[in-house]
Amino acid sequence: MEKTDELVAAGEGVAVVPVPPPPSVRRPRPWPLGAAVLLAAGASAVLLVGDSGWLDQPAVGAWRTVCLAIIVQAIPFLVLGTVLSGAINAFVPADLFTRVLPKRAALAVPVAGVAGAILPGCECASVPVANSLIRRGVTPAAAFAFLLSAPAVNPVVLTATAVAFPGNPAMIAARLLASLGTAAVMGWLWLWRGDEKWLRPALRRRHTGHAHGHSRWQEFRIGFQYDFLQAGGFLVLGAMAAATFNVAVPRAVLDAFSGTPWLSVLFLAGLAVLLAVCSEADAFVAASLTGFSPTARLAFMVVGPMVDLKLIALQAGTFGRAFAWRFCTATTVVAVAASALTGGALL
Amino acid sequence: MRRLLQSLLLKLTGLGLLRITLFSDTYLRYVKPGLRPVLIASGVVLLLLGIVAAFSRTGNGGHAHDGPASGGPDGHASDAHDGHTDGAHEAHAHDGHEGHDGHDHSATPKIAWLLVLPALSLLLFAPPALGAYTAARSGAEPVAVQKKGFEPLPATSPLPLTLTEFTKRVQQDRSRAIQGRTVRLTGFATPDATGEGWYLTRIIFSCCAADSQTVKIHVYGSGSAEPPAADTWLAVTGTWHPAGTLGTTSAPAALDARLTTPIAQPINAFTDDLPITPG
Repeated sequence: MEKTDELVAAGEGVAVVPVPPPPSVRRPRPWPLGAAVLLAAGASAVLLVGDSGWLDQPAVGAWRTVCLAIIVQAIPFLVLGTVLSGAINAFVPADLFTRVLPKRAALAVPVAGVAGAILPGCECASVPVANSLIRRGVTPAAAFAFLLSAPAVNPVVLTATAVAFPGNPAMIAARLLASLGTAAVMGWLWLWRGDEKWLRPALRRRHTGHAHGHSRWQEFRIGFQYDFLQAGGFLVLGAMAAATFNVAVPRAVLDAFSGTPWLSVLFLAGLAVLLAVCSEADAFVAASLTGFSPTARLAFMVVGPMVDLKLIALQAGTFGRAFAWRFCTATTVVAVAASALTGGALL
Repeated sequence: MRRLLQSLLLKLTGLGLLRITLFSDTYLRYVKPGLRPVLIASGVVLLLLGIVAAFSRTGNGGHAHDGPASGGPDGHASDAHDGHTDGAHEAHAHDGHEGHDGHDHSATPKIAWLLVLPALSLLLFAPPALGAYTAARSGAEPVAVQKKGFEPLPATSPLPLTLTEFTKRVQQDRSRAIQGRTVRLTGFATPDATGEGWYLTRIIFSCCAADSQTVKIHVYGSGSAEPPAADTWLAVTGTWHPAGTLGTTSAPAALDARLTTPIAQPINAFTDDLPITPG
């Protein structure tokens, strides 16, 4: 991604004159993405679509099933998220969010974090919405707080947690607190240390969706279409990675790690990243990991909705890779710390 | 051309979703039944979007030029302008197509082509449901502890129970109500590589096939000499296989089978429910 950024940055210098680069100049393509996509596409075209010979092996069948299950499960939420983001871009007045949110960015962060409770979806929906918020002029720090809190503290997820941990209200409270805390800390961390040059250039310039002389419906449709196609592609990539882990490592192996408390917290946090379980279901998975301490299971539920393989892929596609790896690393660290603190106090 | 390809991608994805939800029950292999309405809605939305995209003329260019020139509605004419130029670069960097119009939303993101795979897979070769392979590789999930205490067992014989209920009765019910009772359990067969007998198994989805859990009951003496083939759905009638102390975790979740009948795969194959016993 660094490479792409440089290229684009170099392009910006030239592009003071508002003319697109001449057709004859071939811009070097960002090969890592191209190559990765090509490789993944080649390998998975065979695996996902093929239907004969060694492809009937049960392992391949299980991989295809798990991969498709993640995609099918996520698509409705992705559609919801991209419809919302398209609508925000096209229909919401540009200054609405700046008027509603507190002027000071440091205050806007927790407000946006709490506002995340409104979006009743899982994590796939929140990435395009956060993206359109930034394009609508919301300070990135607040948008990121929203991005992290929306899948973790919404009513559907909290209800699922209550069902999965019956008679254990402390677990729900701990999940709510640790998730909100992580979202707010990440927002403030972005204010303190964040750098907009990690974001995609299109995002840096607050490119607004609605252009004059153009039907708003048209803007909505085109934005929705583009966002869905892009996010959908990254969803497939992430689902393939998660399915590979899911099938390659049997659950039985996991129980070997449940012994030491500290190791188990880190281990379940890592597992949440690799398994890419939807935030509406992760409470049930956490509940089934009975060999682990409550704090470790809390870490699983706090990290999971904020960082996982399909989210990393989605964020890299939406915000840029330079952003995605820094943000996801920092979020994992903060989320583990928040779970350890909250878990130590409440559970 | 690109417009048509984008539209094709959307339509294929939409049709794939509709095929597995409206025209068959295939979606139950992957997700829970409750997701059906939103899957159908998503399929319809994507299909409509694809159709509109195919017939829309302005989706691919033209407007890219009047946006900046007239200035954004928010008055940041120069900002909007720069934004557009950047958008153009981004689109090119992504797309590799040079010399076309520059609005970033008219290009197809290259990664979007990956959507072809699940779409075609859903339309043409929907992969099979999870079965014995997955069940054999997952450890026996610990069954949740029942805090309320146990109701007396109904007098029916054979008594239909889910695999989870049977495990709870064997390992947690101090009243030992299950002792000597003839029960009827349903599930699919998973071979036991290590020893005598085989497993009667259910795979239960929490949300989708990616977070499935397995419940296993070990079955002894299936009635015939050969254990049943993997993935066959069966109803097994029998009694608890005595070992350890009944009512504690030392008792194995195991069954001495008297009668094994093949059954059709239930519609709710991936829940832990029986039609007559609410889970």
